[in-house]
Amino acid sequence: MNSFQEVFIRYRELMEIAVYGVAILLIFIGLYAVLTKKHLVKVVIGLSIMDAGVNLLFVGVGYITNHTAPIFSPGYEDAADKMVDPVPQALVLTAIVIGFAVTALALSLVIRLYRHHKTANIEQLNSLRW
Amino acid sequence: MLKKIFVLFLLTVTGVALWQSFRHAPFGENRVGDVENPETVSAFYLKHSPETLHTANSVTAIVVNFRGFDTLGEVTVLFLAATGLASILYRRKEDEEEEGGHLPVRVKLKSSTLVRTGAKILFPLILLLGIYVFVHGHLTPGGGFQGGAIIATGFLLMFITYKRFNVNHKIMVWLESLSGLAFVLIGLYGLVAYGSFLQNIPWTGRLNDLISGGLIPLIYIFIGIKVATELTNVLDTLMNTKPRKK
Amino acid sequence: MVISPVHYIVAPLAAAFFIPLLNKLYDDAARVVPGIVLGYLVVVSAVLVPQVLYNGPITEIIAGWRPPFGINLVMTPFSAILALLVSFMAFVIWLYGFRFRRTLKGGVVMYYEILQMMMTAGALGIILTGDLFNMFVFVEIAGITAISLSAFYRDRDGAEAGFKYMLLGSLASVFLLLGILLLYTQTHSLNMAQIAERMPAVAQGVKIIALIFLLVSLGIEAEMFPLNSWAPDAYSQAPSPTSAAFAAVLGVAAVYALARVSYTLFDAQSVSMFLMVMGFLTMFFAETAAIAQTDLKRMLAYSSMGQMGLVMVALGIGNETALFGALFLIINHAVIKALLFMTGSYFIYNNNSKRLVALNGIHKRLPYVSFLFSLGALAIIGFPPFSGFWSKFYILSGAAKRELLPLIIGILAITIVEMTYYLRVIGRIYFGKEETEPASHKPSINALVAMTSLAVIIVVLGLYPGLISGYLHKASMFLLDKQAYIQNVLSVK
Repeated sequence: MNSFQEVFIRYRELMEIAVYGVAILLIFIGLYAVLTKKHLVKVVIGLSIMDAGVNLLFVGVGYITNHTAPIFSPGYEDAADKMVDPVPQALVLTAIVIGFAVTALALSLVIRLYRHHKTANIEQLNSLRW
Repeated sequence: MLKKIFVLFLLTVTGVALWQSFRHAPFGENRVGDVENPETVSAFYLKHSPETLHTANSVTAIVVNFRGFDTLGEVTVLFLAATGLASILYRRKEDEEEEGGHLPVRVKLKSSTLVRTGAKILFPLILLLGIYVFVHGHLTPGGGFQGGAIIATGFLLMFITYKRFNVNHKIMVWLESLSGLAFVLIGLYGLVAYGSFLQNIPWTGRLNDLISGGLIPLIYIFIGIKVATELTNVLDTLMNTKPRKK
Repeated sequence: MVISPVHYIVAPLAAAFFIPLLNKLYDDAARVVPGIVLGYLVVVSAVLVPQVLYNGPITEIIAGWRPPFGINLVMTPFSAILALLVSFMAFVIWLYGFRFRRTLKGGVVMYYEILQMMMTAGALGIILTGDLFNMFVFVEIAGITAISLSAFYRDRDGAEAGFKYMLLGSLASVFLLLGILLLYTQTHSLNMAQIAERMPAVAQGVKIIALIFLLVSLGIEAEMFPLNSWAPDAYSQAPSPTSAAFAAVLGVAAVYALARVSYTLFDAQSVSMFLMVMGFLTMFFAETAAIAQTDLKRMLAYSSMGQMGLVMVALGIGNETALFGALFLIINHAVIKALLFMTGSYFIYNNNSKRLVALNGIHKRLPYVSFLFSLGALAIIGFPPFSGFWSKFYILSGAAKRELLPLIIGILAITIVEMTYYLRVIGRIYFGKEETEPASHKPSINALVAMTSLAVIIVVLGLYPGLISGYLHKASMFLLDKQAYIQNVLSVK
């Protein structure tokens, strides 16, 4: 195994860490924000970050080394076996839209809560006790 | 403090579990397989998208045709989110008085001339880009959702720049409902004419033509209009705090 | 046009898009249209369910691509019976809520009716779909409608309940997506039947992690301990027809998803212990919390959680008798809980208070409603001759067949706990010292019809369980038979 191949293998490992690792890190950060932050808007932002992480993970799973986008533009009609997996991309399209819908709904709830309580601090909101 | 430590511990365990499970799915590995004799779903889609459906963008083919039911669900989710938003933020006259009416109405400051002129120039261009994206969804990256989002961004620009910019609520509701209905009706046509819901028509044209892919571009156009009007509605509801006069 | 499973989804959807337009022309259109749609769905069930029970499962393909390359809807006896249950309950709840907020015209009622109808459509989608990602989409549909409906009322607590539900619901969706992703990387498919077929080849570690993600996610939706804190708030803050629907429509879909994932995608053996333990913990904590409640709706909510826990226990026990009992319990819980919420809300409406102490002596003012409430309470505890008796009986028999003595003792102990707080409420209703205000809100004719029909079902099923036992038997057999499901779906076209 000559040094060029070694560099290539090291590069691939790095890419793997980069994409998967960053996605998992985003999920981690988002979950942490959702579970521990006190300000409502921060919680919603955490939710958004979590969605971004999951979507990134999906797309990362679909990638195939050295393959290209799954679009059969003129000149690429026969390139079907050099194409990336299109299914996760389609799933992510749906997931992004759904994530957006939930975030919008969450924000509207935050607005409602703020209007009534004049505060956005989650600890002062616990009127629904045991 | 204790809660934070517990949460961190839980998250680390989850993160490590996730990381370990991806040992079995190495990055960049070819999991699609042979396209000529498809064994996986992905290979099947890559094979039939240019051959049967004559659609260049296979992701569009998946979203609108192979897995069109998911897209129907997604469009529904958007519609329901917009409805839910409207119902949660619904304000009656009594609420307005009770809260003292001191909430801000959109933007307070008047925008500078630079911004106003720029917005006026950019707005039609953004709309054009959005329409281009969703009309060409089956040929280039993009499609109904992306195009709709772009158009909504154009409207957002106008909302931010001009205090008095208003969209005609009635037209938005009509467009939204009609495009949604169009999508469902197209699906029903497939059910009645060909035996399964959302089935495509047999004639699908030539690959890379503007008119190809059968019903796919048509569906995407309706989705584009629906998403654009819906997102604009959502923005309008979120930014406008004055009760709507019907 | 031939009646097929896709009507369950398309009819509500088309109506939902149509209602905003209709509402511009005819103001009360929003109240009437869901009734037509849901009534139609009951008719569809009446046509399809006998077909499924006598001829075998129906698999319908969407967009013309055979499974696993396209999405498909599957009606096995198990899902068909549940689909019938959900459509029927949704119709009855619509009937009950027909005069809801008569005074509020225009926009708000339209939103309410659309959201309520679409919650049913989401639940039906979860029950009928044969594709994992499609199930995720429908879970989101159901979740979004539920959040919006929890936060429907003006007062401050509704928004808080909605927000809590939204937080936990998003956690559920993220975990669901992660589970689906893991399964996709290993099996390269999203179709439930194909995943089930390829599951033996998947590495054990990944299988366990994916299973955990899916169970946590669906557990949140199915009110499993300890992730069910959203439930008491959501049930008590939502409008009454919606609370009834949470129990009768959403709950059914959630346990169906749990059952389908456990039995078809994974092996029932591996989840058996987990489901039994978590189900029992859910029951234990929920029912003991119910004793301490001073609010009627919250008490009913905790009772609901307990029943869902019992369903999970039954799913965990895993033999045919227990599954029979589980299915019976799902049906009973939907019918009885809906009745309890409907009658309970008339109590609340009349007293202008949700507190239990306000129920003292209310039978003098609302005799028929009190009678129905007591009937429901006795039924859910499990007194013969009501239907609730049979479900508990069969679940306990199933446990006995597996010689799980501690479990039997536990369930009986919890039944005693249930008796405590329900009989206490009945006691208040009939023997408490009352205030002597005349009732101002007697139930209207549509509500009476709705509630009475549910009560009739409870009594009839209690006296003649044989009416449905044959079908339930078939359904539970089918659930256990993984290979039949796979064969049925993958051999289409």
